Amino acid sequence: MVQEQELETLDINVNMGPQHPSTHGVFRMVLTIDGERVMDVEPHVGYMHRGAEKLSESMDYRQALGYQDRTEYLAQFLAEHAYCLAVEKLLGLEVPERAEYIRVILCELNRITSHFMFLGAFGVDVGIFGTVFTYAFREREYIQDIFEEVTGERLMYGYFRPGGVVWDLPDNFVQRVQEVLPHTRQGVKDIDLLLTDNEILAARSRGVGAMNAEDAIDWGLTGPLLRACGVPWDLRKDRPYSIYDRFEFDIPVGQYGDVYDRYLVRLEEIRQSIRIVEQALEQLPEGPILPEKLPRRLRAPEAEVYAAVEAARGEYGIYIVSKGGDKPYRLKIRSPSFSNLSALPQMTIGSYVADVVAILGSIDIVLCDVDR
Amino acid sequence: MIGILKGMYVTLSTMLRKPVTIQYPSTHREVAERDRAFPILLWDSEVVEPFCTGCHACERACPVECMTVTMKDNPLHAEGKSKRRKIVDQFWIDYGRCMRCNICVEVCNFEAIAMNNTWAGHELSKYNRDSLVLDLDQLLAQHKQGKIKAWVAE
Amino acid sequence: MLSITVDINNAWLSAFLALVVIVLLMTLTALVLIYVERKFSARIQMRLGPMRVGPHGTLQTIADAIKLLAKEDLRPRSADRWVFELAPFAIFVPAFLAFVAIPFTRDWAVSFLDLGLFYVIAVTGLSFVGFLMAGWGSDNKYALLGGMRAAAQLISYEVPLVLALLAVSMVAGSLSLSDIVVFQGRVPLFVWQPLALYIFIVAALSELERQPFDIPTAESEVVGGPFIEYSGIRWSMFMLTSYANLFIYSLLGALVFLGGWDWPLGREIGLGWQLVLIFAKTSFLILVFMWFRFTFPRLRIDQLMSYCWKVLIPLAFLQIFLNGLVLVYEWPDGILLLTSGAGLLLAGYIVYRAVRAEPRRVRLVPARGSGTVAVPPQTAGAEVGGAGTGGSG
Repeated sequence: MVQEQELETLDINVNMGPQHPSTHGVFRMVLTIDGERVMDVEPHVGYMHRGAEKLSESMDYRQALGYQDRTEYLAQFLAEHAYCLAVEKLLGLEVPERAEYIRVILCELNRITSHFMFLGAFGVDVGIFGTVFTYAFREREYIQDIFEEVTGERLMYGYFRPGGVVWDLPDNFVQRVQEVLPHTRQGVKDIDLLLTDNEILAARSRGVGAMNAEDAIDWGLTGPLLRACGVPWDLRKDRPYSIYDRFEFDIPVGQYGDVYDRYLVRLEEIRQSIRIVEQALEQLPEGPILPEKLPRRLRAPEAEVYAAVEAARGEYGIYIVSKGGDKPYRLKIRSPSFSNLSALPQMTIGSYVADVVAILGSIDIVLCDVDR
Repeated sequence: MIGILKGMYVTLSTMLRKPVTIQYPSTHREVAERDRAFPILLWDSEVVEPFCTGCHACERACPVECMTVTMKDNPLHAEGKSKRRKIVDQFWIDYGRCMRCNICVEVCNFEAIAMNNTWAGHELSKYNRDSLVLDLDQLLAQHKQGKIKAWVAE
Repeated sequence: MLSITVDINNAWLSAFLALVVIVLLMTLTALVLIYVERKFSARIQMRLGPMRVGPHGTLQTIADAIKLLAKEDLRPRSADRWVFELAPFAIFVPAFLAFVAIPFTRDWAVSFLDLGLFYVIAVTGLSFVGFLMAGWGSDNKYALLGGMRAAAQLISYEVPLVLALLAVSMVAGSLSLSDIVVFQGRVPLFVWQPLALYIFIVAALSELERQPFDIPTAESEVVGGPFIEYSGIRWSMFMLTSYANLFIYSLLGALVFLGGWDWPLGREIGLGWQLVLIFAKTSFLILVFMWFRFTFPRLRIDQLMSYCWKVLIPLAFLQIFLNGLVLVYEWPDGILLLTSGAGLLLAGYIVYRAVRAEPRRVRLVPARGSGTVAVPPQTAGAEVGGAGTGGSG
């Protein structure tokens, strides 16, 4: 008798990315899937590596600023802020009051645009054909217009300088921001109504990619991902930098650390950022925007500094080693996207192919930030 | 069910709002006064020569090294018409490399260079990269013709 | 369609003319529907939509069609040649066949079949073969995933679709589409059978692979699924078929549930009005389907399957059972409405329970400068059954 052979099933490897609509840039992961189940994930990074850290070593402290925009291209002001804080710490520069306020206003507006970008992309990831995307982008554009009026650029602002900001605000700035904030509120409300209570979204995102607080801390998650796990950690509150200790705002904290909580946390952060912007606009003082005695060429003493900000994706830190002179000896970027992405295998293994897309979307990576 | 109905209400209500997009190449949105496209050189129409003296300040400050400048003695200074002893001889900017960081404008001592704040500075599609290297005449052309109201940083 | 206008004795000529008419109709439907969908989505998303070709972009789809026809018809070297190249036809033919039996007005149809409803369901159910062929023949993993998803989804949802239509035809007492329309008279059937209408719409959305059930072709997951390797004219055939199907299912819904070419105010209406009515009802359903498409996120394949087998099919059987009771014991029609309405509420409740979407909100922590990390107790876990976190990497 012939032994009847059992039908053998094989896992297949599916290459997702670098060209894939939902990998948000040129991220690549090799999924080992059994039917629709994900058995293993192998992330490949580095397709977008441009050597921003190494380039900064051959540039003086002013020139390297432009590369911060290009590293974190969705929260550019926040990245610039981190860099400027590090250089200011290194050089001992005092930032004028008005410049601090301008920075905070722009940073918080930038956080809003970045979170809108997340909401739009997340909507596409979970399968709403463009609707959330256009809603989010509509509101994002209004804020981008303000950025353009202030800095002249729509994406790579290059507006902050070690010591302050490069130009003063345009005359009608306060009025323009107050015009735009109602639009932003409306946008948040639209997306809130469209998504938050939607049962399909709940089914797709609740319990998906969940992490508990210990794991999240162990993996070094920061930002909305960590807060979604229930840890109220926000550098703006816990390590106050700049003038964030002057504003009233709350830290939104999730409960389960799943995709849905991350979405909720970001949605609420937009509202909190609006609060900060409003307070800052009220308090905005007159005065200089750069220190009185700012040398044309910034020369640093021999030192090592680390400065971090709570960027839209988490802790964005800049570590500078200086051996004197006008160039950093080494500049290291602690990018939130990279640390957050490292937890991807733990979040995805065991879930479905469709969940991988939603989880990756919820991490909200910026690929330049991952690969630098 | 309720969440689904809410979502359907939102999409229905937005249908009644005005579209926010425009037909781009046929209608242009206005660019801001501070808009930063690519750098151009400014033309001193009183003395009929460029403001630029070819001092290399921007060339040295440029993070991506997209500029090449040479300097010469100013013939108009010899004639007594100009206060500039030296003047720019050749000036190339490779727009393909430029990262529009505005540093050249900041370091310029003569306010001779500015970021283009018109649409002409944005719509620069070319068939090859060599055409993106602009020489002195091309860089000066726009301001010469008065087609730009340059916003030079204080 | 032709049976009334010209009296043609030659069967072959007649068949050929019918064929030409159907192909023209399918093409025209697809062209119009693609334009309507693009404009409709543009309105929802506060965009302008196509504006360039023709006044308000009306000729845009024609331009797109010409572009598609002019494109190179690519085939991957490792593809299974015949399976790959025949797949578009395997999808196209069922839609084509379905058109044959659908009456547009009282006198207009290519062929009036006594088993029209049965026939339409049967032939449209064949299209999954084409998806499977495309998925397998492309020799692409995304296509394979998409093809398998399509097969699972289409076969599963065929069941509730058939059962819902069966329930309706029980009430109407006929499987002929024109008889069902005539039976409805003043009060269309959706009034008596809301549950069946609900099941029909959900199942039709799934058969059409439109949001929230566009899982086989999910753009953000399997990048177009079975169609990923197709280009040019073969791809345009998939597109054409998908819109032709949208038209067929909407027409079917309009005929069976919305009273077809009749309306409540009178029976004797002219051909023109009949066309207007059927057109209006079909367009209404099409627009509703489009509205869904741009409002809902996509379900996951396991949720989709469990929704079909655990919710829709039992409910469809319930509907048939209730209809049977009413018909056998000759209870008044009101009971039909009552039972079906109750069933609809039950369906809503089941969905509500199944996803357990009690509102979840974030907690706001106003703590300032606390500097300590308060680690909450183990809270993570699968709230919804199914995907947990799994083991570590």
